[in-house]
Amino acid sequence: MEKISKPTEIKHQLGHMEVDHYHYTVGLAGERFFTALREEGKLLGARCESCGVTYIPPRIYCEECFAELDEYVDLGLEGEVRSFTIARIDRDGRPLDPPEIRALISFGEDTTDLLHLLGEVEPEEVYIGMEVEAVLKPKREREGKVTDIRYFRPIK
Amino acid sequence: MREVSIVGIGYTSFSPVTPDLSWKELMFEAATRAYADAGIDPRKDVQSFITCAEDYWEGFSIFDEFTPDQLGAALRLMHTVAGDGLLGLANAYMQIKTGLFDIVVVEAHSKISDLLTYEDVLMLAFDPIYEAPLGGHPHYLAGLEMREYLAWTGTTEEECAAVAVKNKWNALRNPLAPYGAAIAREDVLSSPYLFAPLKKLEIAPLVDGAIVLVLAEGELARRLTDKAVLLEGIGWSSESPWVGTRLPDARYARLAAELAYAQAGITNPIQEIDLAEVDDRFAYKELQHLEALGLARPGEAGQLLLEGAFDLDGQLPVNLSGGSLGMGDAVEAGGLQRALEIILQLRGEAGARQLPDPEVGLAMSWRGLPHGSGAVAIFRREA
Repeated sequence: MEKISKPTEIKHQLGHMEVDHYHYTVGLAGERFFTALREEGKLLGARCESCGVTYIPPRIYCEECFAELDEYVDLGLEGEVRSFTIARIDRDGRPLDPPEIRALISFGEDTTDLLHLLGEVEPEEVYIGMEVEAVLKPKREREGKVTDIRYFRPIK
Repeated sequence: MREVSIVGIGYTSFSPVTPDLSWKELMFEAATRAYADAGIDPRKDVQSFITCAEDYWEGFSIFDEFTPDQLGAALRLMHTVAGDGLLGLANAYMQIKTGLFDIVVVEAHSKISDLLTYEDVLMLAFDPIYEAPLGGHPHYLAGLEMREYLAWTGTTEEECAAVAVKNKWNALRNPLAPYGAAIAREDVLSSPYLFAPLKKLEIAPLVDGAIVLVLAEGELARRLTDKAVLLEGIGWSSESPWVGTRLPDARYARLAAELAYAQAGITNPIQEIDLAEVDDRFAYKELQHLEALGLARPGEAGQLLLEGAFDLDGQLPVNLSGGSLGMGDAVEAGGLQRALEIILQLRGEAGARQLPDPEVGLAMSWRGLPHGSGAVAIFRREA
């Protein structure tokens, strides 16, 4: 097969795939979670009575037994670090200084874990099992989004 | 019971960029080679075509409608699987196994160099309400999982680094692998901690390329070619999409393997499998996957690796192709990359990295971040 062997003859066209504008429905469980977060500064989970599992973020179904869930429990703002990573580049590959500390936060044995950021702590101080608490934005700044939690910080 | 065999393989070169060929031309090249290898005419002999792709990787929507012409599939039965190539292979397997068709073609490719904002698109795979708003580079999730995998199993950073050393070394013997290198463990360990404990040299770079496989019913396969390779089992599984619900044990790989082993009649994988190709897009994943597949006991894959068990001359050679670390991350073509090496080895066509007399090989794929889905295929050389 004949192929292009001169780089100067290779052509391309720039394009843009429009995926910027969506209206993501938070759903029934999301409504409960974000309203409680914004209005009361609480983190809610959805509990499955028969499996003994609490889901955060909450869902209206249990992934173990497929039961419909409608019991919401206040998980409090304190948890511990299940795992963490120190991210030293941003999405465009640029160095992050200071780095971001990203973590899975555990709210207890029978509860699923929440992905979030750590703050007010140095990377070398973080360890698995470290006790942390959520730092929320002041109520007037909260929008009912996961970013209403600024980050989790060590409990002094 | 009907058997299913691979009767033709076709592939392009794998390259970090492919500025001269469009994605359709890459597919055409791989398909043309596969049909020549199988000695078939796609316009007459193939009853069903399956492609594997994800719209966002391609840069346009409804990918499946763009595929017939470059495969010789116009006005024929065809469909697209929005997933890894091994899932396409599973579909082809079922179509032949059920007796619906006798010859089926599977295609997967990567023209990921066309995508100028890979990290942003990968971020679109994160939950748009609970995960994506937290921002960041999507690979941080691998750093999170790696740290927990190390903590759970006692695997060391040195053992993970040794995966990258082995696979990049293997890639030097594979003319299809553009990322081969003779590097030392120290090079990997001293490469930047991008998402600690994950290091730069432990992350597979992207690659372009296309692979086409021709499958046929067992008896027909023997008439078509004397180098047919049996596909004896294929399984797949998806875990919870929620990162905070999964554990760092790659359960998707274990469940997929259990199904594939049962179909293939494998009861003792360590004894019965001669070589394996497993997903290694992040170096620690190779060790985690080997343990999930039952090819090493939990927490022991790293030590076995250091002892040489997974080397070319070890008891279970792993990723002789170079894996994704050596061949490049070919997005949805990753699983067929792994399968291709097994088929080449079982046909005795693996060149400088050819094993003496392999009979059974395993190929395993993972869908990639942020997901917990995988597939496993078992191949056997015709007696």
